[in-house]
Amino acid sequence: MTVLGLRFERREKVSRRWQFVTLALAFLASALVSSLLIIFARASVGEAFAALFAGAFGSWKAFLETLVKATPLILTGLSVTVAFRAKIWSIGAEGQLLTGAMAGYWVGANLTSLPPVLLFLAILAAAFAGGAVCGWIPGYLKAKLRVDEVIVTVMLNYVVIFLLSYLLANPWREPAQYYHMTPSVPEVAHFPVLFARSRLHIGFVVALVSSVLVFWLLHKTCLGYEIRGIGLNPTAVKFKGVNVARVTILTMVISGGLAGLAGAGEVMGLHHRLKADISTGIGFTGIIIAMLAGLNPLGVIPAAILFGGLVNGSNRMQILTGVPTAMVYTIQGVVLLLFLSARAMAMYRVRRVRNA
Amino acid sequence: MLEALFQPTIIISMLAGMVRIATPILLAALGVLITNRAGIMNLGFEGIMLMGAYVGFWAAHQTQSIPLAILAAIVSGGLMSLIMVFMASTLKVDQTVTGIALNILASGLTFYWYRVAYKAATAQVMPSVEIMQRVEIPILSQIPVLGRVFFSQYLLTYFAFLMVPCMWFFLYKTKYGLELRCLGENPRAIDMKGINITRLQYITVIAGGMLGGLGGAFLTIASAGIFVPEISAGRGWLAIVVVIAGNWLPFRILMATLIFSFLDAFQLQAQSLGVQFPYQILLALPYVAAIVLIIVSRARSEAPSALGVPYFRE
Repeated sequence: MTVLGLRFERREKVSRRWQFVTLALAFLASALVSSLLIIFARASVGEAFAALFAGAFGSWKAFLETLVKATPLILTGLSVTVAFRAKIWSIGAEGQLLTGAMAGYWVGANLTSLPPVLLFLAILAAAFAGGAVCGWIPGYLKAKLRVDEVIVTVMLNYVVIFLLSYLLANPWREPAQYYHMTPSVPEVAHFPVLFARSRLHIGFVVALVSSVLVFWLLHKTCLGYEIRGIGLNPTAVKFKGVNVARVTILTMVISGGLAGLAGAGEVMGLHHRLKADISTGIGFTGIIIAMLAGLNPLGVIPAAILFGGLVNGSNRMQILTGVPTAMVYTIQGVVLLLFLSARAMAMYRVRRVRNA
Repeated sequence: MLEALFQPTIIISMLAGMVRIATPILLAALGVLITNRAGIMNLGFEGIMLMGAYVGFWAAHQTQSIPLAILAAIVSGGLMSLIMVFMASTLKVDQTVTGIALNILASGLTFYWYRVAYKAATAQVMPSVEIMQRVEIPILSQIPVLGRVFFSQYLLTYFAFLMVPCMWFFLYKTKYGLELRCLGENPRAIDMKGINITRLQYITVIAGGMLGGLGGAFLTIASAGIFVPEISAGRGWLAIVVVIAGNWLPFRILMATLIFSFLDAFQLQAQSLGVQFPYQILLALPYVAAIVLIIVSRARSEAPSALGVPYFRE
């Protein structure tokens, strides 16, 4: 096809070098868009970037806080990775995170007589199960009734938010509080902190271990082979005798469970109670992280630390230069679009033609 | 308490509410319809509506002019869908992920722009704009019941409802409509006829996005008068749901839209009457209904066959 005298031709093979060049261009373009956004807010680009970087990675303390922010992002990134590998376009990580948080909170608040280690494991199991249920619904509907998973997961996100809002306003509400939130969970249920005077909790270790486990699942197990198979060529996998419906449902259960673990970390490791605002789009950021990581479970870790850093550093940027933290969320959309274009551009050769 | 919901005056205001609430979803759904007919699945309509809602609000606040605000919202919807069609038609990127990216972009950009433009805004003191006036149609608005329900509405509402038969006429009775339907079914045939597929897709997808932006603007400059982050609240997704539930047929899409809007009008009325029922469950009703509707509407006989499939010339 020809646009403005330029012809796009599909390449037979994509060279590594060309892939790298387009990716680098995408990042450069993202930085350019960020600069424009900063100028739009009438702040100095240099100062804003300096504050952003210092707030994210400028000191040991800042770095630990970046890891705090990266912890749930790793888990939602893994959640999206598992689903997208099977070409199941789940956008439900946000809702699954919340159902996981609810289940984890309930166990943490009620089963306090358990020994601490068992209680910790029970909270993780409950959170995984809570997220898994929320993932099972779209998985089942897709596998058995061929219902589009995108719409079901999006709609479930809204339903879960209203469910949480109901629980916080009525049965689980701490009456003395003005804002709708639950009472604080007993200290025995809190996730232990890894470094003194930091907020980095054991959830970070859970996230790292999950990355390795998901890598192992996808690349070393039979189920992982089938998950990748239905993503690459569902017909071929079906003819090999794989039960596609079963694998679809299992994929969504695992994907939901991983997002649920993120919810447990936020409740038991950070807020120590359930509130309406425990997730500010962590589930959606997971989509960008998974895509940037090239749907590689280990690549999710650096991608999540990068975005955790952006979220963390943007607070300092807002205080020092007045650029709203919402910039980070704009950049997420821009990065995803540019990244997708870069990957596609790498597959084309652009030629100038005289007569279009 | 529940009897209060079934009094004639309440029912009439509920139905009038239904028609008003239907407006933005219907506009966006018609946009989704033509986009799909061009063979492109644009899942970014939630973002397109949100963008239209903010840009419309911002322009109304800057210029105090409703027509300019509407124009700005239409342009913003067109620009958003330009990104979509460039990625889908020119670069042939996966349409699902592109749509998701558009939603994330709109969600961040509107929030950022709002914070930059209205630094002093708080939850208590929000900037607001004068909203559109209702237009009573002479004579028709005097008809009992129907007059209140259908003929004392906003201009945009009349426009949205009139667009339904217009869209039907365009798709089924004109040459361009035939080409468009053919494009979604069998792009190769259209290509062989010598019609410029790329051009047709660009025009249609951008026009669809413009309708979505217009629908979004209704939320701020006709309904609320203020902007709050995520004000679109899933309506762009509902627009996609009603298109599927309406089996890609204009009049069925109208029916599906009215069902949703009735549920929403019902829950608003129930809340304002103070019915003893957790309001969160009422609020979740349209979204639960969307899931149910998408499960039961499995007869996709009219779905464009080439929907979401990029076209490559051999």
